[in-house]
Amino acid sequence: MLKRTVALALGLSLGVSSAVLAATWTGGDDLPTNPLACDGTAAAPVAKPYDGGEVTNQPDRKGKPIKVVDVPKLIGIGYFNATSKGIAEAAKELGNVDVKTDGPTQANIDQQISFIDNYITSGVDGILFAANDPVAIAPVLKKALAAGINVVGYDANSEPNARQWFVNQAEFNGIAKSLVDNMAKEIGEDGSFAIVTSTFTTPNQARWISEMAAYQEKCHPKMKWLETVEAQEDNVLSFNQATTLINKHGSDLKGIFGMTSVATPASAEAVTQAGQCGKVAVIGLATPNAMKPYVDKDCVKSVVLWNPVDLGYAAMYTLRAAADGDLKPGATSVKAGKLGDLQVINGSEILLGAPYTFTKENINDFDF
Amino acid sequence: MTATLRSLLRHETILAILLVIVLAALATQSDRFFTTANLLNQGRLMTEVGLVALAMTFVIVTGGIDLSVGSILGLTAILLGVFWHNLGLPLPAAMVLAVLAGGIGGLINGLIITRFKVPPLIATLATLALYRGLAEGISQARSVRGYPEWFFVLGQGEVWGVPTQLWILGVLVVIAAVVLGLTTFGRATYATGANETGARFSGIGVDRTKMLIYTASGLVAGVAGVIFVSRVSTTRSDMGTGLELDVITAVVLGGTSIFGGRGTIIGTVLGLILMQALKNGLALSGVKGDGTIVVIGLVLILAIVASNIFSREGDG
Repeated sequence: MLKRTVALALGLSLGVSSAVLAATWTGGDDLPTNPLACDGTAAAPVAKPYDGGEVTNQPDRKGKPIKVVDVPKLIGIGYFNATSKGIAEAAKELGNVDVKTDGPTQANIDQQISFIDNYITSGVDGILFAANDPVAIAPVLKKALAAGINVVGYDANSEPNARQWFVNQAEFNGIAKSLVDNMAKEIGEDGSFAIVTSTFTTPNQARWISEMAAYQEKCHPKMKWLETVEAQEDNVLSFNQATTLINKHGSDLKGIFGMTSVATPASAEAVTQAGQCGKVAVIGLATPNAMKPYVDKDCVKSVVLWNPVDLGYAAMYTLRAAADGDLKPGATSVKAGKLGDLQVINGSEILLGAPYTFTKENINDFDF
Repeated sequence: MTATLRSLLRHETILAILLVIVLAALATQSDRFFTTANLLNQGRLMTEVGLVALAMTFVIVTGGIDLSVGSILGLTAILLGVFWHNLGLPLPAAMVLAVLAGGIGGLINGLIITRFKVPPLIATLATLALYRGLAEGISQARSVRGYPEWFFVLGQGEVWGVPTQLWILGVLVVIAAVVLGLTTFGRATYATGANETGARFSGIGVDRTKMLIYTASGLVAGVAGVIFVSRVSTTRSDMGTGLELDVITAVVLGGTSIFGGRGTIIGTVLGLILMQALKNGLALSGVKGDGTIVVIGLVLILAIVASNIFSREGDG
């Protein structure tokens, strides 16, 4: 009886948490798209008034040494080690910033809020953050602004009025362009391709796919879109779906896009095991560590993401500029050391630039 | 009985002395620690853990444990959002229903433990997974936002200069202390934990006591869930993950024996304050997050060992 009750309880909970949504949707979302120019000229920024927050009674910090704390979603993972490396690098170049990274060991909203709260009390001059939840973090960030602290986000945004600026690692149309351009380069202008995504309703993936479709139609009109398949963010399912694609379309299939950091390595593994390396190209969003084996074997030529070291670096420069009063509402660009001038978009966001393509030459420089 | 009482007092005295030392030490490390604003703010941050710790003291005194409180908190938060946003109920009604749902979660724990004689550790480990799974399934990873301004008074506002939720915690501390220390129900709780068989033969309604306590634990986790949503102004299915560990740490640090039969509300409150003071004070003195966890672990061991050494009975 005991065992049955426990088994029932566990079974129920597992059943509910892995409940699978059956959907019948076949493309991107229905939101309007904004494909970039084919030759890569930056689109004219849409004028949008500043929608960030205001610091209350900010003391004059121009050129003065400042104390900054960086609170990422969590600490101890490769990705945020890379961003804090970039932050430290920028602080060293600037010479007048004392920065440390501290945060929860799990991506937990409550702990992240407590960390920021304590640093507000301890009296820092600036806060850098990557939000675990855009709304939950807002009250504590507003408290920081009210206490005269400069607040800049990176990687994961908060509500705009809870921080001054947000460094945006990549726009949807930028990622789409980079993915489609790399695919066209590998399989030719008239190649056919398929997509392995998470689910048709995942917001980011659906947005990327819409932008990819719009960009492909505009700049590579002869490429052929075979099919989009769902694979959750599940390793085994992604592998099976990619294998099915290879068997189903045979030599028609020239390339596979992986839309998640799980689907991309799993598709690469499927292509490897099917002996199709060099015949079927795999291009996708993924972290370098997961893709190194396939890139080393020449099975995958390009992995698209952004450079997290640059992301942290840009965030630090943005915070310094905001503290110095050089970056004011209405500005159109900010100077970010070796990255040059970064564009202001969407009112109060700084665009890091075009996404980063990891190739055999550079992938071993990254560890995340 | 008097000997047990004396050893209880000993643990709390040691804890109180330790707390004073820690507060003094932290105050010298950072001049921003011992300020009214900071202390009240810390009170705000520890309310959810504090509320659940009160009920957990009862649970552990009966010799049980409730691992599902963090999941109940998450489930309550999601249900609050669903009742209000998806079903269109008025927010006050949604709040009451969500808290009641927490109580039902606790009642189910109590039923599994008393009717089917499942050990509390196993039963609540199962419902920890069950309730979290339900929260995730119901929410479909979507959060509910956009609560009206008045709702934030509960989690972000103040009443007579003190954070609103601290008043709730204060009232419940008094109620819990009176119930555990001065009533028949409190004595039944101790008797259940000290010697369950003996309690049964003495005519104490052991199962009824346990049912009430686990239900109360769920209700209080529900109240904490509503306060949490108000404090962070959004609901997410992962809210309260790991809360049970903070709660159990505070209760055990407060001198409640994990084997049951011993423990007081005063001890739990002292343990709670000590833990929060350490987290906050160490952060203000420039210790990083990972260092703080290490110190809390050490203090927990130190407090228990010290209390065992000084207690001649040595039965802890």
